Amino acid sequence: MMYGIELKGLRKEFGSKTAVKDLNLQIPEGSLYALLGVNGAGKTTTIRMLTGLTEPTSGEAYVMGHSISSELDEVKKLVNISPQETSVAPNLTVRENLEFIAGIYGFTKAKTEVKVREMLVQFSMEEVAHQKAKTLSGGWQRKLNIAMALITEPKVLFLDEPTLGIDVLARRELWRKIEALKGKITIVLTTHYMEEAEHLADEIAIMAKGELMAVGSPAELMGRTESDCLEDAFVKIVEGGSYEE
Amino acid sequence: MKSRVFAARTWKEIMRDPLSYIFCLGFPLVMLVIMSIIDKSIPAEAGMQVFRIRNLAPGIVYFGLTFVMLFTSIQVSKDRTTALLLRLYASPMKPVEYIFGYTIPMVALAVVQMVICFTVSFGIGLCVGDTLKITELLLSMVALLPSVFLFVGFGILFGTLVNEKAAPGLCSILISAAGMIGGIWMDIDGLGGAIKNVARLLPFYHGVSLARLPFRKTADGIVEHLLWTVVCGVLVYGLAVTVFRSKMKKDIR
Repeated sequence: MMYGIELKGLRKEFGSKTAVKDLNLQIPEGSLYALLGVNGAGKTTTIRMLTGLTEPTSGEAYVMGHSISSELDEVKKLVNISPQETSVAPNLTVRENLEFIAGIYGFTKAKTEVKVREMLVQFSMEEVAHQKAKTLSGGWQRKLNIAMALITEPKVLFLDEPTLGIDVLARRELWRKIEALKGKITIVLTTHYMEEAEHLADEIAIMAKGELMAVGSPAELMGRTESDCLEDAFVKIVEGGSYEE
Repeated sequence: MKSRVFAARTWKEIMRDPLSYIFCLGFPLVMLVIMSIIDKSIPAEAGMQVFRIRNLAPGIVYFGLTFVMLFTSIQVSKDRTTALLLRLYASPMKPVEYIFGYTIPMVALAVVQMVICFTVSFGIGLCVGDTLKITELLLSMVALLPSVFLFVGFGILFGTLVNEKAAPGLCSILISAAGMIGGIWMDIDGLGGAIKNVARLLPFYHGVSLARLPFRKTADGIVEHLLWTVVCGVLVYGLAVTVFRSKMKKDIR
């Protein structure tokens, strides 16, 4: 099986603190994988290592078969990230933000034009295309944040808490956009909203204190912990230890 | 290519900030006009030369460059505190491409500022009966180029080292220093003594003096001024590049 992402003993230490402890995980290509955990569980650090934003202390990871240690330049061409904080150029319009990122990834003018139009349609942003990013509402900024990651045609997309701080309608709309990507690219999603993970993810990995506590589909995790909902399963796993099969 | 894209973004960000027009253009032009009016009020017997248009114009243009430093530092520090740079760090962009992406638009802004300020100075020169020659203006612009890199370097350096709130404070120290001991607002050569000794140890006095030489039709001190200005420009810009690269590496450790 071809893995979108494969972690082999991936570890990150900050001084005496170990943020990620020897993580082993395989994420099948084209799947939507949710990384769940309380604050400080190591989710964001894991994503930062996989996107080249942090160097691992030890271990190895492969993204679409490319090593993050020895082939980072190649990995960077294949991945993109929608960071937790909205990361847009505030004085640029929505269209210009998209064009900017496409340019950074070396797209030609013609290809940029096609991709920008595609993103504007896909994320229903035509009406705000000429509006400066800083004047957009939180929901629109979140959509732009994801569109800026997606415009580069990544094979692996990291969504770090993509719906944080937006209202329920905007969140549902973003869910639909993310769902539409399923099967086309590998997506790694981190979230604190259990219903979001349950709704979107094919598989869920639960982390606590830098360690992987459980992996499985939402139904499997609920079955294993004899829980009625994912939130209960999550609490039992994080508080009670490993539920790995 | 990536530098060009990043530079275009930086240019748009600056041009869409009204403060850029107020500080980089409006303020130097207002100072130019006000100081010219003051100069007209000073009796000839006072022998005050510093506000004469052929001294004032290069001084004001040099003063304007300090605001380019301010905007560079604010832009770099602002980018570092937002998640935009985080996204870009995950992209295939190289550190040198960020440096060029900041430098190109700031140098362009400085050149535009020089052209506009010298054009207005030319007009003032016509009004006060002291016509500035085009060759003098062009030579002065060339003489100011090392100082452009000096101030862009300071801007990148401060923007890399401190946050958006602290960067303007640091810049204001240099803005004041450039104005006072650079000899823009007072005649350092006339004062002499300790002030001149201190001024000679800093790049501002040499930068202003170098920019004034074409208008004075003399080459007195050109080697000293040129050497100090170029060496300091290269050193500060080089330091800024090194610090930015090392900070970027540290950020992704």
